[in-house]
Amino acid sequence: MQRPIKLFTLFLIALTLSGCGYNALQMKEEAVSKAWADIESNLQRRADLIPNLVETVKGYAGHEKETLTQVTEARSKASSIQLSPADLGNPAAMKQLQEAQGGLTSALSRLMVVVEKYPDLKANQSFRDLQSQLEGTENRINVARQRYNQAVEDFNASIRVFPASLTNSLLLHLQKKEYFKAEAGAQAVPKVNFK
Amino acid sequence: MAPFRALRICLLLLGTLLFSIGPVQALTVPALKGRVNDYAQILSPATISQLDNALKYFEQQESTQLVVLTVPTLEGDSLEDFSIRVAESWKIGQKKIDSGAILLVAKQEKKLRIEVGYGLEGKLTDLVSGRIIHDIIVPSFKEGNFDQGIINGVTAMMEAVKGEFSAKSVPPKKNSKQNDPAGMIVPLVIFFVFLGNFLHQNRPAAAAIGAVGCPLFGLFFLGFSWITLLILVIVGLFGGLIASTMLSGGGHGGGFFLGPGFGGFGGSSSGDDSGGFSGGGGDFGGGGASGDW
Repeated sequence: MQRPIKLFTLFLIALTLSGCGYNALQMKEEAVSKAWADIESNLQRRADLIPNLVETVKGYAGHEKETLTQVTEARSKASSIQLSPADLGNPAAMKQLQEAQGGLTSALSRLMVVVEKYPDLKANQSFRDLQSQLEGTENRINVARQRYNQAVEDFNASIRVFPASLTNSLLLHLQKKEYFKAEAGAQAVPKVNFK
Repeated sequence: MAPFRALRICLLLLGTLLFSIGPVQALTVPALKGRVNDYAQILSPATISQLDNALKYFEQQESTQLVVLTVPTLEGDSLEDFSIRVAESWKIGQKKIDSGAILLVAKQEKKLRIEVGYGLEGKLTDLVSGRIIHDIIVPSFKEGNFDQGIINGVTAMMEAVKGEFSAKSVPPKKNSKQNDPAGMIVPLVIFFVFLGNFLHQNRPAAAAIGAVGCPLFGLFFLGFSWITLLILVIVGLFGGLIASTMLSGGGHGGGFFLGPGFGGFGGSSSGDDSGGFSGGGGDFGGGGASGDW
């Protein structure tokens, strides 16, 4: 009677370990990394669209140099900052990236306001195509951001809830992840300046 | 009387859980009635049946689901947010290949959007979607001719995605995610045989271990869900009890009677299928274009 009970206890311990979230935590962290990769590819896609956009606008609105330069500068700044999955738990790095991307978003929205003054440009097919692509990309970034934040919420909650929190502090030592917040610049409506 | 009281508490708990589910959202996603969902009532019956036939045929030929939704108003919600929610809940397009797209029209706001599933993003790009909206649909809409605008728009969408998938690219139907109830049956049967063999004289102990062990299996194989756990506690309780009784003679097939009982688990997740049409499980990532008229 002794040996079977010992065996059975071992069996239960093995089960309990997986029941304590050891596997679930790892899968959730992987889900966060995957959601982040999706954001990054969309941010990259946006950055790739910008040189073409700037060229097209230049052809019609050459003397809007200042706005165009701001977009180009914001783009190169945003492209220079990237986060590896290991940095997702680093608040400072995340803040830096958010600021750079937010800067690009607001530079772009200023450009779109300036463009309103040029009906010829707005009627141009390649500009309209670029605009569709840019809008589509912004929307993709938004969707990817929401999904990333959901994955982070799920992960952060699970490392704090009881059995998994113990597993994490004893075995896994996974860090809390940072949210990717909506950019401060994206919420402010750009001012229209009619002169 | 104690077991009955426990059962009653369990049922009460179950009831509370069922009622507490259901997120609150700005604008609820309407039910998927068919390929053409004209909630704004801007289309003629002839247009609806014409579109429905064309889209049905298209799905058979191309394994691609295109769906139209018109709503009277967005009630202040953002078009893009609403659109992605519709896409996430309807799951248009086939699973794995994500071959679906939705044409959404909001009448009062005079806005429309083409929401494109991952699998069609290569053909129905943001650029192409934008052109379909601005050059094909909006001119008709501006004249108030919704029928023509939608027909032309859907035709253009079909043209755009033609050839992306063939009729043969139908993936076999599979259970969702790694939550595979079938994978749980064998270890569970072994567990009960184990239990019955070693605790055949002690039925309460077998029942108690069953009630604890069975939910642990559930956590491992099915993921966390209170309802599943509750059901598994009950299953484990009786399973342990029965196993210890049946196997007291020293081993005739303990798993035998558990097999069919567990078969019911797999089928329980199938949703209701309204009017013979439903989304195939396609995923969306916010691709497509928006416009107004």
